[in-house]
Amino acid sequence: MRPLFSSGLALVAGILLVSVAEGEVRRSTERPPEVRRVDRTLPAWPVKTPVRSMRIPSRWIAGPPELPGWLAEETSGGSPSRPAVDDAVAPRGPLAPPPSRVSRLATAAQQTLGLTHEFYFTRAAYTGGRGGYFGRGAPAWATDYPKADIQFLIVLKRLTNLDAWDDENAIRLDDPRIRQFPFLYALEVGYMTLSPPEIAGLRAYLDAGGFLMVDDFWGTREWAAFEYQISRVLPGRPIQDIPLDHPLFDMVYDIDEVLQVPALGRGIYGRPTYERDGYVPTVSGIFDDDGRLMAVLNWNTDLGDAWEHAENPMYPVEFSTYAFQVGVNTVVYGMSH
Amino acid sequence: MESIFTALFKYRPLLFREGELVFGTPWPIAAVLGVTALVAISAVATYGSRQGKATAGQRTTLATLRLAALGVLAFVLLQPTLVLTSTVPQQNFIGVLLDDSRSMRLPGESTETRGDFLLETFGPEGSPLLSELQDRFSVRTFRFSGETSRVADASELLYDGTRTDLAGALDRARQELSSVPLSGLVVLTDGADNGGRALAESLVPLQAASIPVYPVGLGDEALTPDVQIGRVELPRSVLRGASLVVDVVVNHRGYQGETVEVVVEDGNRRIAQEPIELGPNGEPTITPVRVTLEEPGPRRLRFSIPRLEGEAVVQNNRRDLLVEVRERREKILYFEGEPRHEVKFIRRAIEADENLQVVVLQRTAPGKFLRLNVDDGDELASGFPRTREELFQYRALVIGSVEAAFFTADQLSMIADFASRRGGGVLFLGGRTAFAEGGYRGTVIEDALPVLLEEPARDPRSAFTQLAVEPTNAGLSHPISQILPSEPSAEADAADATGPEMPETLDDAWASLPPLSTMNRIVSAKPGATTLLTGSSDEGEDRIVLAHHRYGRGRVIAFPVQDSWIWQMHSEIAVDDPRHELLWQQLLRWLADGAPDPVHVEPDREQVEPGESIRLRATVLDSAYLEVNAAEVVAEVTDPTGSVRTEPLSWTVDDDGIYEAVIPVSANGRHAVEVVARQGELELGRGVAFFQAGPSDEEFFDAGRRTALLERLAEDTGGRFYTVDDVDQLPEDLRFTGGGVTLTEERDLWDMPVFFLLIVGLIGAEWGVRRLWGMV
Repeated sequence: MRPLFSSGLALVAGILLVSVAEGEVRRSTERPPEVRRVDRTLPAWPVKTPVRSMRIPSRWIAGPPELPGWLAEETSGGSPSRPAVDDAVAPRGPLAPPPSRVSRLATAAQQTLGLTHEFYFTRAAYTGGRGGYFGRGAPAWATDYPKADIQFLIVLKRLTNLDAWDDENAIRLDDPRIRQFPFLYALEVGYMTLSPPEIAGLRAYLDAGGFLMVDDFWGTREWAAFEYQISRVLPGRPIQDIPLDHPLFDMVYDIDEVLQVPALGRGIYGRPTYERDGYVPTVSGIFDDDGRLMAVLNWNTDLGDAWEHAENPMYPVEFSTYAFQVGVNTVVYGMSH
Repeated sequence: MESIFTALFKYRPLLFREGELVFGTPWPIAAVLGVTALVAISAVATYGSRQGKATAGQRTTLATLRLAALGVLAFVLLQPTLVLTSTVPQQNFIGVLLDDSRSMRLPGESTETRGDFLLETFGPEGSPLLSELQDRFSVRTFRFSGETSRVADASELLYDGTRTDLAGALDRARQELSSVPLSGLVVLTDGADNGGRALAESLVPLQAASIPVYPVGLGDEALTPDVQIGRVELPRSVLRGASLVVDVVVNHRGYQGETVEVVVEDGNRRIAQEPIELGPNGEPTITPVRVTLEEPGPRRLRFSIPRLEGEAVVQNNRRDLLVEVRERREKILYFEGEPRHEVKFIRRAIEADENLQVVVLQRTAPGKFLRLNVDDGDELASGFPRTREELFQYRALVIGSVEAAFFTADQLSMIADFASRRGGGVLFLGGRTAFAEGGYRGTVIEDALPVLLEEPARDPRSAFTQLAVEPTNAGLSHPISQILPSEPSAEADAADATGPEMPETLDDAWASLPPLSTMNRIVSAKPGATTLLTGSSDEGEDRIVLAHHRYGRGRVIAFPVQDSWIWQMHSEIAVDDPRHELLWQQLLRWLADGAPDPVHVEPDREQVEPGESIRLRATVLDSAYLEVNAAEVVAEVTDPTGSVRTEPLSWTVDDDGIYEAVIPVSANGRHAVEVVARQGELELGRGVAFFQAGPSDEEFFDAGRRTALLERLAEDTGGRFYTVDDVDQLPEDLRFTGGGVTLTEERDLWDMPVFFLLIVGLIGAEWGVRRLWGMV
């Protein structure tokens, strides 16, 4: 009886939600005012993030070569020459990516020896629990990987003069070669649990002039988790809202509204665009001492899914168009500021 | 040597040079030669007919000796005579020019100071030399330093002139004595001509009037021991905060192997010091001294070496130079054909530099441009400038990876003109559509580049290679390459604990940088270009990484690598490592430095004595940098007391767009000049310059006697060079070589001792040979 009751309740709730949507795709601006403002203050730590204990085979991720001596000294604990994923974090580490993608990751990492292209859409491979691919056997960082990356690159090359490499390029945060890719994309960062070498690597990356684009994390819980992690990377640097008159919004395309881009399952079925309590999408960032953006945080939105499923006729073109525009603007901003 | 000649030939060589040889025999020359020939034939016949026991060779030898003696005798019988032109006593004048500059206080050869010789020789008490001159000539005495004037004798000399204007002195004396028969000008000087005028120009009228000059060199050729700051290469104006590498040339004698310290002071503040080991005697030692000028406005920098023990001259241990430190933002246009990381990292590198403004125009998509750092919404609104007026407002231009086909033919010419006509700097960066790969072969840009373009690769990526970069010898001393911070910052100190250590030497600073990549194969620089950085490719091929040359009025730099940002981002580079920032700040500053404004003014020298005049020379161009001849140009000269005098400048006619004025200077101290050029109601621009008025120590530099200059002066005018040792020959030489009223004088040569010796020698030799062979 109990399962039947639960199913009935869910059905009623679904009907109610669809009626609210009035047959249109829900946009963030249609949220009731009282639920748009989200308190993003940090909850008491630690946030209990359920993770699966599964050891990731080291051969699936190309480990870094020798760390520079100074970086090794800076990192506390662990051998600098061994990937921290294996020993320190693996017991509660990410799910393994499917073998087909692992080979691509290795390829991307290896080709850093000859960077014949100007731009590599580089994805941060970080230590962390389950993510958007929960249930599909991939770690959080590999959500939408590599199709989102490749599709975004196809459109990026079509819309700009950028000399970009055609394929995805994932690299670990503690890999020194990450410094050769000044643009970094990370998503599902609410599940990120950075190891000391990763913290040191990302901190040096950003301090040296690297740019981080963050996407696809939802609700206050994931916000808090990410805020804690990034505070370990950049202590003392607050996250600030980026107003719509910021140059980020008119680098290539004039963007005068922040949309909430839904995940595939919500986009194609016309369900509410939000996930968890992430009702209001925001674009915020972390600025350096000179007022330049070091990181852009797209919260309560899923640009990656819009890129990944842009070819899907069921996915609303309005969202995929917007996601591409945001992506293009962010890349051009990251390469010029 | 000359005395031996005189003993043999009766007269000094000078008389033979000046005179003409004639024969004074009363008999016809043909008769004398005929008789001589008969005697000679009979002598030969005698040796030929009497066989005796002599061999043919012996007879030939004896006949030759006999004939030679007969030849000499015949020559004497012809009565050779030297016909000379000599000045008529007391009918001619000579001008005696006495050096009255401060260098006359330096030690002389035979006297305590050089000036003492003047006083002894041309003083009121007279001297044998002066008496001899006065016996034959009317002597007019002048003193000269910066100015020239008549004096009664050497007692009026003060030896306080701060310049030696030799050309001016010769001009003045020639003009003053132009109405009298002038036999020559005698100049007593050390030859330290620093009047700033071309000596050759003053020699032309002297040559035309046949007035010989007789320089008498005073002092030793080299002062020992002595060390001096020979030369300092410092631009007249620099941008505030500019890191200059100033080449300081130190000359010395007697201090070989010693280490001295070159100190640079700005007012009372020491801003740089550099130890230098002195090389071999007499050879200049060049040391680059890095100077950073932070105080805006005109600055007087003093380069000095502490006094060494036993030095002959201490005044030449320091040099003062005036430099204008400009407080302005140099506006640089960076045009990039595609989104590139270089844009970001160049902008970040120069962000802390308040004196550089890099305006970025970036083509993000075909026909779509991103503008950064523009002053207003209209700037570059239609993309890359289409007129020279619009482009020439920038002081430097950076062209990134953009294909030549993007530009119109006129725009390509504009880019070349930006350097050649506007005088700005143009920097070409590497990239997949740059240099030959961008289709620049055969365009005007190829002519402007300092490097030779090779056949382009079909696919630029196939030409991809990494380059380990190192500076050339020229690069190590170039301001662009000074990537070691002059003073370690507190921030860097704090970060030392976490980052790689900063190298301590410039060589290490370059050697420890990671390799860069390129897709443009550039292996040769053009003749005249300077290569500052080279790179070794994966295949071991040497490539050019940074080269520059002058192109017209401006400069063009090639930097055919595509990812200099690696020197900021690479994991082996500490996050606060300043090398990338310093490289770009210095590269862009050097690129923009020296780009002239449409109106600029320069004084002909930066140091002038009160009472003298200074010549201002202004260049007036319009916004397209075309010369304007019909402008109204006015200079406002502000003297140290603050009073302002307005002087108009007039077009020189000889050169387009050049205006000049001569300004008298009366007050000691720093003078400021502001020139304003107008064309009708339109103000074309303003230019500012500075100069210093006051005594200088220029006289003490290179204060040794300049024999070569004085010898040339004598040679070009038909005179003769003397030292204090042989100056006693001057009166007689003047008598035969001078101009003015002259008469002809004959000197017999038949009684020259050399003839007697020859005749006796030849006959004696014949006799000796006979004895040797047993004939007598």
